Amino acid sequence: MTIGETKSKQEVIDALHGVAAEMHDKMLKGKPPAMTLPVRTKKNIQFDKKLQVYKYGKNKSTRDATALSSARVLLRSLHITEFIEEMINSGKSSTLREMYYISEGWGNGKFGNQNESNNLAEDLEIVTKCIREDFKLRPEEDGARIIGNVTFEEKNRKGEWMRINCRDDVGDSGYGVPYNVESEKLRLVEQDIDFVMAVETGGMFDRLVENGFDEEARCAIIHLKGQPARSTRRIMKRMSDEWKKPILVFADCDPWSFRIFASIAYGAIKTAHISEYLATNEAIYLGITADDILAYDLPSDDLTKSDLGALESELSDPRFATGWWKEQINLMQEIGKKAEQQSLAKYGLDFVTDTYLPEKLGALGLNY
Amino acid sequence: MNKAEEISSKQKQIAVSEFFEKNKHFLGFDSLQRSIITAVKESVDNSLDACEEARILPNIHVELNKQKGDKIEFITQDNGPGIPRNAIEDVFGKFLLGSRFHAIRQTRGQQGIGITGVVMYSQLTTGSKTHIISKIKSESSAVFVELGLDTRKNKAIKTGEKRELWIDERTGEEINQGLRIRTIMKGKYQKGKQSVHQYLRMTSIVNPHASISLIVRDKEGDIIDQGNWPRTTERLPRVVSEIKPHPHGIHLGTLQRMLRESNERRMTSFLRHNFSGVSMRAAREILVNAKLDEGREPKRIKADDAQEMLNAFQKVKLLSPPMDCLSPIDDLLIKKGLSKAIDSRFASTVTRNPSVSQGNPFQIEVGLVFGGDLGSEGPIEVLRFANRVPLMYQQGGCLLTKALESVDWKRYGLDHPGGRGVPKGPAALLIHLASTNVQFTSEAKEAVADNEEVHEEIRKALLEVGRGLKNHLKKSSQRKKAKEKFELVNIILPEIAKKSSEILSRPEPDLAPVITQIMNAVFCEEILGWEKDRKVATCSIKIYNYTARARAYTILVKWPENKNTALVDNNRGGRKEAKGIWAWRLDTLNPGTCTTVDFGVSGLAKGEWVDTDIFFRGNGEIIGATRIDETLLDEIRKSEALVLAEEEILKESENLEPLIERAEENVHHQMTSSILESKEGQLSLSDWEVE
Repeated sequence: MTIGETKSKQEVIDALHGVAAEMHDKMLKGKPPAMTLPVRTKKNIQFDKKLQVYKYGKNKSTRDATALSSARVLLRSLHITEFIEEMINSGKSSTLREMYYISEGWGNGKFGNQNESNNLAEDLEIVTKCIREDFKLRPEEDGARIIGNVTFEEKNRKGEWMRINCRDDVGDSGYGVPYNVESEKLRLVEQDIDFVMAVETGGMFDRLVENGFDEEARCAIIHLKGQPARSTRRIMKRMSDEWKKPILVFADCDPWSFRIFASIAYGAIKTAHISEYLATNEAIYLGITADDILAYDLPSDDLTKSDLGALESELSDPRFATGWWKEQINLMQEIGKKAEQQSLAKYGLDFVTDTYLPEKLGALGLNY
Repeated sequence: MNKAEEISSKQKQIAVSEFFEKNKHFLGFDSLQRSIITAVKESVDNSLDACEEARILPNIHVELNKQKGDKIEFITQDNGPGIPRNAIEDVFGKFLLGSRFHAIRQTRGQQGIGITGVVMYSQLTTGSKTHIISKIKSESSAVFVELGLDTRKNKAIKTGEKRELWIDERTGEEINQGLRIRTIMKGKYQKGKQSVHQYLRMTSIVNPHASISLIVRDKEGDIIDQGNWPRTTERLPRVVSEIKPHPHGIHLGTLQRMLRESNERRMTSFLRHNFSGVSMRAAREILVNAKLDEGREPKRIKADDAQEMLNAFQKVKLLSPPMDCLSPIDDLLIKKGLSKAIDSRFASTVTRNPSVSQGNPFQIEVGLVFGGDLGSEGPIEVLRFANRVPLMYQQGGCLLTKALESVDWKRYGLDHPGGRGVPKGPAALLIHLASTNVQFTSEAKEAVADNEEVHEEIRKALLEVGRGLKNHLKKSSQRKKAKEKFELVNIILPEIAKKSSEILSRPEPDLAPVITQIMNAVFCEEILGWEKDRKVATCSIKIYNYTARARAYTILVKWPENKNTALVDNNRGGRKEAKGIWAWRLDTLNPGTCTTVDFGVSGLAKGEWVDTDIFFRGNGEIIGATRIDETLLDEIRKSEALVLAEEEILKESENLEPLIERAEENVHHQMTSSILESKEGQLSLSDWEVE
């Protein structure tokens, strides 16, 4: 069983039972119940050549019931297992937050805060090789917005397939990406574009839309809303795989935006267990680069202490271990500056669509 | 002569009222804020001293009402013995040197300028007269009088004197005895570390027998601050006796005068009758050392010989001065006093045995409270006291603080950055120096002067409470760990077993081997309680064997053994290992089983026994108990035997001493025909100069 494949209800339940069985078997042998997990830190991710993304390495940690806090986590996993089984059997789903509140009734298995329940849901994904969609668990986070000449079919609440063109059938805010973008919920039907442009900030997304950049440059524009949600990364991955269109990331020039790109292209540390399913290895960082700050003489801010710390830590992050990224990070450390996407407005509202993007795209061979 | 008259008759006068006017900064009336604290202090100290001498449990009420400008109406009232009509002028109108100025024993104030300062300060700042109501129990009515001062003549000016029934404004009942002072003075009421509130709070801590209350009102009559510290004990401080000076604290001048003024015929008698701590044996040894003949007449001793005597005093081993001149607060009462003023989790107190510095008996008491409501940010609260009087100023320059700072508190679980200054953490520390002669750094009497012996005693006391704290912290962390483990195996693990079995539709696994594996230790847990009806302190010790092997232990418990206490309800028997240590040999404890040792202690007060130590003998560790240190146990047994032996010797020597004395006196009678008895022991201490 591998991640990303559609699983039957029974397969998901069996996988979850495997977690309970590991604990039960240990107790039968007179040993403390336990759950084995990969170590989920920067130190334990490595590039998977076959999948072309970053995955967890071989370091495992055992969570066993020799300490009170770990024992509580084990008990909670069992409560979640039972809860998910009930949802699968009754055809319901719940948000992670709802599950957190439902845990109020779990007595000693109740969560201390929502972070705990989110992390444990991820742990279970990793151990069972299922994804949370299999568990009928939803995030609260917003999916992305898309504008451009692409057509999807989405299954609505009545169970009917609904056809939506993201240029003609939507308003200025675009098409809202649902939390589940798997093929049972969303189909990629048609497109007439040359590339996909993922934009970090809402202000820049709206500027591109207002300037008609999607039609002019024949692209789909996606608003990432900061660190992109899983469904956003997943739909980009599908557009890349199924339509073979390049994904270009247009973000601020600061260490945090670099991390947004890394999670799109190589996978996030927290979700490294499903990197091959979320990460678009072909994604390209378009800008704004440290070079751009100098080349375009952009208004910039000094790097703060925490910015500098983030840059330093990126130098030891295997996802940034390429020559190009090292150069960019070093240059940024050297000039000590960062710049926002919207600093391009220094040269007028149309500068970004008339000058900056054509020049950057042209360099990649995407002329329009 | 009734009590009140007796006290006031001891007062002596000094014409220093003019001096006050010029030097009020000396006397604590230098700033508006300070003046009000000093006024309260003088009045409350007087009330406490008067009540103590009259053996009355004090109720003291302080009221401050702000008025226009910087004026404050000042009212204090107590239930003390009152002041006789004819003594009121003297007590309030002159600078008095009380009896205590001439006696060697522990008292609160050591200079008698006290309450006159309040009368004078009020008059100088607002022109207000001081209104006194005094009621003596034996008289049918109270004296009402207004006092002013003629500062140049050192005389009170009395007006509006009348006799009436004194009716309590609040209850409408007649007041049977007490004293009320009301006046108006300039002053500024402020809250904080140096405030009337803090002064009274601190006073209540070291005077747990007193009930003290405070009300402060603003100009509009609204209450802006108040405090109420009820008494926590009915036990009055013990009556302190006056003592003779000890040779170690005598200066040449004093010795010479004592010699000159002595009517003794023989040097041995002179030494034995004028000093404390000098036995017949010691007197002879001193004289041999000083190369003085026993039979010499004290009056004829010259300066050189007196100096020789002084040197000899230091060489000869002398008994310590008697300690009944000191009035320590006592461990339990400090604990009660502290817990009344401060809400905390842990309290440890130490009353050191009395000690002597330069012939002056002194005694150190220390109390430490930790946790609870105490703030963990910033330095700990330091509560300094000298003879039950709070010291509120010059903390940094005070010996008590210096001794506190000399301890490495990090070792005892308090944050102590750089090992310097006052440690930080959620704690308050009380240090009380009781002494017949507290040496201050200045006239203002705010900081205790350096003294090596006192410093060392404080340090020892602090180390002792420090060890208590460390022990407590270690224990509570052990207890927390044990509690977590119990929760793990007793609650969470069974739930994991139940839930996983439910999910998998399998039978539940046997958890006993799992529990053994997780715990892999023997745990011990003690619970101290109190049986109200029978007045028995209870102790229940549970021992759990969560290992895979059978265990056999002897459990030893520290209990407060003394002549008043006894072990009760001790069904397991056991035996005494040493004083205060009882031991039980337990039957073999099989894996997964638990056993309990229960017993009680009678003869204790509630709250007196709140913490104990559990020790064990046997193989393998016990979490929650300490392996008994056999050498330490031996030492305890030895020192115990030593104490017993000493007591016996003391008893013998007590029997011996009168014999020697009688023998000696017979010799005297034979040798001289002069009459000795009329003069012996008659030298009054009040004739001495005050050092």
